[in-house]
Formats: sequence, C-alpha cells, structure tokens
Amino acid sequence: MPDPSSSVKPKYVKLGYQFLVNHFLNLLLIPIIAKIAVELLRMGPEEILNHFNALHFDLLHVICSSFFIIFVSTVYFMSKPRTVYLVDYSCYKPPVTCRVPFATFMEHSRLILKDNPKSVEFQMRMLERSGLGEETCLPPAIHYIPPTPTMESARSEAQVVIFTAMDDLFKKTGLKPKDIDILVVNCSLFSPTPSLSAMIINKYKLRSNIRSFNLSGMGCSAGLISVDVARDLLQVHPNSNAVIVSTEIITPNYYQGKERAMLLPNCLFRMGSAAILLSNRRSDGWRAKYKLSHLVRTHKGAEDKSYNCVYQQEDNEGHVGINLNKDLMAIAGEALKSNITTIGPLVLPASEQLLFLSSLIGRKIFNPKWKPYIPDFKMAFEHFCIHAGGRAVIDELQKSLELSGEHVEASRMTLHRFGNTSSSSLWYELSYIEAKGRMKRGDRVWQIAFGSGFKCNSAVWKCNRTIKAPTEGAWSDCIDRYPVFIPEVVKL
Amino acid sequence: MEEDRVRFICKRTVVSTKSVEQGQLYRFSVFDHVMEPNHIRLVYYFRSSKTREPGEITKKLRESLAYTLNCYPIITGRLVKDIDGMDEKDDLNRQWKVKSNDGGMRMVEARATGTVEEWLRSVNREEELKLVHWEDMYHLPYYWSTFYVQVTEFDSGGLAIGLSCSHLLADSVCAMMFFRAWADLTLTRNMMAPPLFHSLPPRRFANHGMISNNQLLSHYIKSCALNAPPSNLTEDSIVTVTLLFPDPMVRAGESEPGLSTFEILAGLFWVCVSRAKGKTNEFVDMSLCVDVRKLLRLDQSYFGNCMVYHKVQYSKPFKTKDSLLLSHAAQDIHNATKRLDYDTVMDLIEWLSSNSNPISNGSDLVCTNLEDMGNSRPMMFEKDLILSHVSCYVEGPVAGGGQVIVLPSPSCEEPTSRVVMISLPRREMVKVVEDELLLSFSPVLLMDYTKQKNV
Repeated sequence: MPDPSSSVKPKYVKLGYQFLVNHFLNLLLIPIIAKIAVELLRMGPEEILNHFNALHFDLLHVICSSFFIIFVSTVYFMSKPRTVYLVDYSCYKPPVTCRVPFATFMEHSRLILKDNPKSVEFQMRMLERSGLGEETCLPPAIHYIPPTPTMESARSEAQVVIFTAMDDLFKKTGLKPKDIDILVVNCSLFSPTPSLSAMIINKYKLRSNIRSFNLSGMGCSAGLISVDVARDLLQVHPNSNAVIVSTEIITPNYYQGKERAMLLPNCLFRMGSAAILLSNRRSDGWRAKYKLSHLVRTHKGAEDKSYNCVYQQEDNEGHVGINLNKDLMAIAGEALKSNITTIGPLVLPASEQLLFLSSLIGRKIFNPKWKPYIPDFKMAFEHFCIHAGGRAVIDELQKSLELSGEHVEASRMTLHRFGNTSSSSLWYELSYIEAKGRMKRGDRVWQIAFGSGFKCNSAVWKCNRTIKAPTEGAWSDCIDRYPVFIPEVVKL
Repeated sequence: MEEDRVRFICKRTVVSTKSVEQGQLYRFSVFDHVMEPNHIRLVYYFRSSKTREPGEITKKLRESLAYTLNCYPIITGRLVKDIDGMDEKDDLNRQWKVKSNDGGMRMVEARATGTVEEWLRSVNREEELKLVHWEDMYHLPYYWSTFYVQVTEFDSGGLAIGLSCSHLLADSVCAMMFFRAWADLTLTRNMMAPPLFHSLPPRRFANHGMISNNQLLSHYIKSCALNAPPSNLTEDSIVTVTLLFPDPMVRAGESEPGLSTFEILAGLFWVCVSRAKGKTNEFVDMSLCVDVRKLLRLDQSYFGNCMVYHKVQYSKPFKTKDSLLLSHAAQDIHNATKRLDYDTVMDLIEWLSSNSNPISNGSDLVCTNLEDMGNSRPMMFEKDLILSHVSCYVEGPVAGGGQVIVLPSPSCEEPTSRVVMISLPRREMVKVVEDELLLSFSPVLLMDYTKQKNV
C-alpha cells in the first residue's frame, strides 16, 4: 500500500525492515541449509552411507523412536483445537414494499410528534447526517400512523425475518433441518416466551436432542458472542454443525416519546437478519468459505461510565427507549484499544509487534510524550468489517486504525443500503465484499462489533476458497450501483 | 340509529418500490391551477365469489400499489409553493409545484360489516363517503399527501376501494385511469396504459385573433373572476341519489340520431331540475364538464386536468310537450359541444395563462360526462373480484349548485345503460325524483337519499 505522506527512501527502509523481521526464521534457515548442503557435497555418497550404518539401528531403537514419534504427533493433533469452518451464511433482504425513504420517515415523525417540533427538527438533523440511504426498511407495524407495535406484529416480523434467512441458508448449503446439532439465536431487544430458538425448532421440526441457546439483551455485539458460544461447543462435540441466527427485531423498540437522546435509534435501526452455518467436520473443509482464526471478547462493564453509556430506560412520560450517552464514541475508542491490545499479538506480524513494543517501552521509560505507535493492521488483514452502528462509529474507527476509504467501504455501503441492522450488519458487510469479488483464498477478515455493556468483540476469519462474483444474496440486485458517494449532509 | 358499519383499522403511507431521483419539480398546467380548491372522491365496489382471510387482499393491494407508484412520481411527491421566475414580490407568480421527494401516498385500511350487495342496497351519501378517506390540506402542505386510498374489506365478502385526490393534480378521468392501471398491474403484472406526463399543447403562433364569440372563454372569464357569484346553498343540505338508466336511448324515442346518451341524459336533467326549481319559462344555468383530451389530440393516458366547463344556452321554445322539450334540450347540448374545437380550447388555455383565479360554477347545475370511462375489458384486481358499482363525487366551488355525473354502468349488459349520480339541495331532489319525464325512463334507484340526515 503506497504511503502518501512519506517519500521514497523511508518507504523502502520500512519495507526492508518488515521483510527482515517477518521472515527472520526463514532467513536463519538459509545459512544452516547451505552449510548442511556443503557438508553433504563434501562428504560424498559413500561417507554418508558409512555414517548412516554407524548409527547401529536395532529393532528396539526403531520401535521406540517410531512409537515416540507417533505418540508426540497424536498428542499434538488431539490437543490442537478443532478448526471451526464457516460453511456459508445468508443475509435477509427485506421486501421493497417495506422501504422507508427519508421523506416518509420525516412526515410520519412530524405527524406523530406534532406537539414537539424541536424533537422533529432534531430527528431531521440526525437523519440528514446519518449516512443511511433511501432503501432501508422498517417492519410493517412501524409504517402505521401512529405505529402499532404489538407483540403479535413483533412475532410476525421475527418469523418473516428469521425464516426467510434460514430457508435461504438451507438452500445454499443443502443442510437438512434435522441435521442441525447446535442452534444459537441472538436478538437483543425482543425476548418472548417461548424463545425465538424454540420458535425455530418448532417451525423446522428440529431434533429433540438439539443444543439450543437464546441470547438476549447483549446488544449489537451479540453476533460474535454467538459465534464464540458455537465455537466452544464445537470443541466439545466432534463432527457437529451449528447454526447461528443473528437478528434484531425492530417492532417493539420503536421509541414513541420525545426525548432527543432516545430518538436516535429510531433513525438508525432497520430490519435485517443473518443465518450462519458453522461446522467442525473435516468433510466440510473443502466447501467452507472461511475458517475461524481468532475470536477476542472485551468487556468494559466494570467501569460505570461504560456500563451506562447505552441504557434502556423509561422517559418522563413512561415511554421506553434506549438512551445513548454523549461520550459513546470515547468509550468505544477505549474498548477498541483494549480489544486491540489482546488481538494485536495474535495477528500482527512480528515487525509490527516489535515496533509497538519498543514504542511502549520508550514511552514508559524514556519519554511519555512520544506518540504511541499504532500498529498497522492493514498488514494483518485484507478486509475489515466494522459494525455499521452509525456514521460516527465508522469515521472514528477509520481514523484511529488509519484505514483507507476502500477498507471501510463495506461498512459505509451497508449502512447506506440496509441501515444499522445491529448484530447482523457484520454479515451484510462480508456479503458486500464477496459480491464485489474481492475475497480471495487466504485473505484475512477482521470483524469488529461494539455493543451495549460496553463490549468490543472481534473475530478473525481466513478465507478458505476464492469466492466468485456475482454472488446470490442480499446485494445481488444492487451491487452494481455501489459504491455510492454519501454526502456529509443530505438536504431534506 | 344504526351503529357504524365501517370500522377504521389503520392508516399508513405506501411508497414506490424504487427510490425516486431527488429534487425533480413538476409544474402544473393552467387547467390544473384553475381547479385547485376542489377534490375528487371515487369509490369502486367489487363483489367476490370466494372467501378470503381478512387482511389478505389488502396486503396484496398494498404491495401492488407500491409497484404502481413507480410510474406516478407526481403522486408520491409533495406540494411546494415555489417562486416562478425572478420577481419575488409578485404574488401572482407563486404557484404550486410538486417536488418529487418520495413521500408516498396515504392508505387507510378499514372493515365493514355485511356484504357489498347489502351495503349498496341501503347506503346513502354520508355513509358512502366513509369508504373514501380524505384530509384537507394541512397548514404545512409539505407534509400533506395529495392522494388517499382506502381499502375496505367487507366481512362477508366483497371489497370497496376509495380513491380521493386533490383536483389540482388530477381530474376524474385520470384518477380513473390511475385506478385502472393499478388494477391491471395487480392482475397481470403489466400496466396496459402507463400515464403520460407532459404539458398541454403550446401556444399557437399564427396570427389568430381570439375567436369572437368563444362562449367557452366568456364562461371562464365570468366564472374565474374573484367576485364570481358564490353558490347560494344556505339552509338546504345537499343530498345525493344514484340512478341506473337501463336503456335511455330507447326511452328517448324519436330523437334525432347522432345524439349521445350523455346528451340525452343531460337534457333530461336540465328539464327536470329547472322544473324542480320552479322555472317555467326558462332553464336553469347549466355547465357541462367534458373531457377535451381528444380535442387537443392528447392520449387518454395524459395525466393532469383536461376537462373544461362550458355553458349551454337553450334556444328553442318552451311551451311544448315534454318529449319535444327534451329533444330540443339535448340538441342544444349537442350543438354546444360540437362548437368546442381545438382553437376554442386553445384560446382558453392561452387566456388562462394570465389568469390565476380558480373557477367557480356558482349555483349552476353542472353535468359531467364520464360515460366513456367504461371499457370493454373488465377492470379487476383479481379474477374473482368483479366490479359492481362506481361512485364519483366532486367537491368544491366547481360543483356549483347541483351536480349530475354520468358514469358507465359496470353491471348492466346494455351498452347504453348509464349510472347517474345526482347531487341537489333536498327540496329540489324531492321534486326531481318524482318528475314524470324522469320516471318515463324507468330508472332504477341504486342509492336513496331519504335516510340521509339533515346536517
């Protein structure tokens, strides 16, 4: 990647340094191999044979050493964690009849909040700067004037959204419902009884010994938490597969009051869901799209500030909504730093780690005023999927990780086309990258999700096979129109 | 006191399925501006032979309406009053325009008890208007939808769809064409007659002076003046009656050939209403509302106002027997309509571009010709929904002192049968429905006024 701010010489120095450090061990091997080769050539074939015969192999030695080798390799292979493959996934595409253009959203807002013009003004300003497009979708219950969020309409939204994604997943992977061993569903704000996972089991007639989990209340980062749960279970159960359903049901959570801090989610959250198939079977290795490399979860809930920054509460009039604190971005930045500190050593090449370490030591010992070295994550990953929580989140992360426009394109375009679909947004972003034909075998993807609590979770996937575009999926009919230029402010 | 047969379920906005290019502005033609204060309400009734889940057909209609709206950006836009030209102080230049902002149109869902047939047998004007939702312009017109659709499912079978719109955007002809396009799209996924949006024919350049005795123009000059005579409906309420004329041409007997059914019916009502008002030596003032798309060489799919009002003068003697009176009246109507031609209407259009007042028909009787809106191809949304009745109301100053709207008859086999909706003050209506000449046509009473409350 060309470094625009520096001139040619330092760039080559940096490249040389990186090559040296990253291939250090390989470089060490070269003189050793060279020496052995020279020795062998010097000795000649008869001498080699003589050396070999002098080793006095007898049966006991042979059996013991081979037994030892077999034992060590068995222990090695048994203790290696099972590879978790992501066979395939599918994202829900809402019907065009659920579309909500800006004008309609503002009109409804004005008709419903007609006694609070200031709140309407605020919503309009938020919407203008939100980074959403005109094709995001809200569930049918929210289209009414005034909205009618009943439990029945919430359930029916859940059914449409989840079952469509799952049907698509079954079709793509050829999975039969009765073969599902583990089911993990995450939906933060809607948790009926029986649970959504029970709803799925009922609809598809899944097995009675299925291991099902329903995660609720865990925010927008719950998608990766579900992946973590599934991964841990797949370590314990051999030859199994797991289906993860990540969604957020909008119907019961539309805020109907007038507090400004609580109106923002109305502007951003939209309908969406994703269904993912994970497997630890070796036979799935050839057709799986990705392998899970790392998954790191960071929870900052021990600090009061982080705990309270995304808080669901009642306003003065009794309407329930989600209160977003003003220092949300700062807290997100802190959580991200924590997460990076853990994931950095796992993924960064040795050159970056050395630099980071020396900068850290330097700041601690020599001069605290040195600028902290931000490791270049672009060397560790080819693709980034940043949770499309809002334009501010993506801007902040782009700045702090020093990413280019192309790296965050998937996130921005997902926000534009689908809005903030909460935990499933990471999958829409991954789908975008695939639809653009940019995913090649061996590429590494970093998924970062933020959520209430405050949590920052990351997952690292390695692409298992090159994925050819055009792909079927949520982006199939509109990928040609993207990327679009999203203005700073859309004048309404 | 019957309990309300119509239950309101919900109101929502339907948007087109494709997003609209932002920022486009549509201008109105002079015909549109002149019709501004009025609005139209149409109700279509469909019988059904199969039972459905409640809400099922409404959902389907909502989706097909979203697809239909892709072709009608003018309906999904919002009104803005923009300054035309550079002169800000000149109030004359502030005219309405439509800004295409993808706002969508309002849709109301409702349920009604009973079946469509039962309803039609016992409905009156007040109740029928409950089937078509309308909201007058808000004080902030940018958030006001200009079109409203109401879908009312009848509990025991059948459907009523109401469409109301501001007259500024559409006349009855293109509102009905919109409805037909929606039905076609729902049934066949194909719009047979997509709308055409363009301006009226341009000014003529040849040295045409104004035609000296352009009666159409003089009528408009009088009616568009700011101090045009207001309608003098004071204490008497307007009631509406719907009559079906099974074979008016036959009943008219020995009238001259070449007269259309509308002309005969308009003549009939001219005679009856004049008698009901107590005039023995003259006829009431009557204006005819006719569609001039063909005259102006425009396609029927032209979307926008294209109907003109022209006054008819009676030129023959009064003291004759009824049938001859009718025949003379119809003949005069025919002649007046024949005098309308391209140049007459173009004169009007050119004069209107410097006039900015809406038209008011005072207390005239207004007869509207919509008899050509029937079609040999039946209009239906689904194969089992058969159109059984259409009602049309026009409200506003253009409705004058009484209205007669001649519509095609969807259920009758005879091609010349017509459904006529008559709206008159109660006192006159009582006399008209008992008029001998009217009764000689054997009309069938479809909607009575007697149950209507005096309000």
